[in-house]
Amino acid sequence: MNGDDLALLASLRAGDAAALEALMRRYSSRMYRLAYGITRNQADAEEVVQDVFVTIVRKGQTFEGRAALGSWIYRVTTNAALNKRRGKRLELETSLEEHLPGFDADGHREGDRAWVLADWSATPEHELLAGEARAVLHRALDALPGHYRAVLVLRDVEELSNEQVAQIVGESVASVKSRLHRARMALREQLTRQLGSKA
Amino acid sequence: MTCQEAIAILADYLEMALTPSVLEELERHFAGCEPCRAYLATYKKTRDLAAAANRVEMPEEMKRRLREFLLEQLRQNG
Ligand SMILES: [Zn+2]
Repeated sequence: MNGDDLALLASLRAGDAAALEALMRRYSSRMYRLAYGITRNQADAEEVVQDVFVTIVRKGQTFEGRAALGSWIYRVTTNAALNKRRGKRLELETSLEEHLPGFDADGHREGDRAWVLADWSATPEHELLAGEARAVLHRALDALPGHYRAVLVLRDVEELSNEQVAQIVGESVASVKSRLHRARMALREQLTRQLGSKA
Repeated sequence: MTCQEAIAILADYLEMALTPSVLEELERHFAGCEPCRAYLATYKKTRDLAAAANRVEMPEEMKRRLREFLLEQLRQNG
C-alpha cells in the first residue's frame, strides 16, 4: 500500500479529522465519477460514496497489509454501485446486440453506402456534447448494462489498464476487453444513427 | 482481412497491443477500405465523447454534506 495512505489510515484510526479530509480529497472525486458512471443517478452515487467512506472510517484497521487502498476503493465502489442499480432503472437497459454492427457473409458491414461511410468525427466535441447529440449519447449510456458502464469508466475515464480493471470487477481480462469494445460500438452505432446524415 | 475482422481488433489497435504483422495487415486494410476508416474515426471519437460525458464532478453541495456526515461518523467512532 501507498505509504501516504497507510499513514492517513493510521491517523484516521486515532480519530484525526485532517486524515479523513485528506483521504476525501484524494479519493472522493474518482469514487463519485465511478459511482455516477455506473448508477447514472446523483443521489445513488452520493449514497455509494458515503457508504464506502463509512466503511473506511469504521474499518480502517482492516486495510493494513492489503493491496493498494486505491484499488480496494475502486472495487467496493463498483460493487456498491452495481448493487444500488440492481432492480432499478433496468427497464432502460436494452439489449446491446441490437446496437452492434451487422456484417454480411463476406465480412462487410451491413447498410447502404451513406451509412457505412458516415463519418461525423470532425464535428467539434463541444457541439457533440450539446443539444440532440448529447441527449442521444446520454440515452445510449443509460441503456448500457451497468457492468459495461463500469468498464467504460474505469478504462476510458480513469485510464486503468485492462488487467487492473479485470481485478476490480472480478472478471477476466478477455471479458473486460470485450465489454469495452462492445460498449463503444453500441454507443457509436446510436450516435451515427443521429449524426451520420449531418456530417 | 475482412471488415469484420478489422473492426474486431480496433480496441487492441488503439491500445497499440497488436503484433507487428497483424498491425501491418490492419493498416493495409484501412488503406484500401473507406468504410473502415470512417468506422475507426467515429469509434475513436465515440470513446473520447463518452469519456468526456463521464468526467463528472461531485457537486459542491454534496461534497459539503459528505464531509459533515463523515466527520460526525468519525466523532461517534471515537
Ligand atoms: Zn473494411
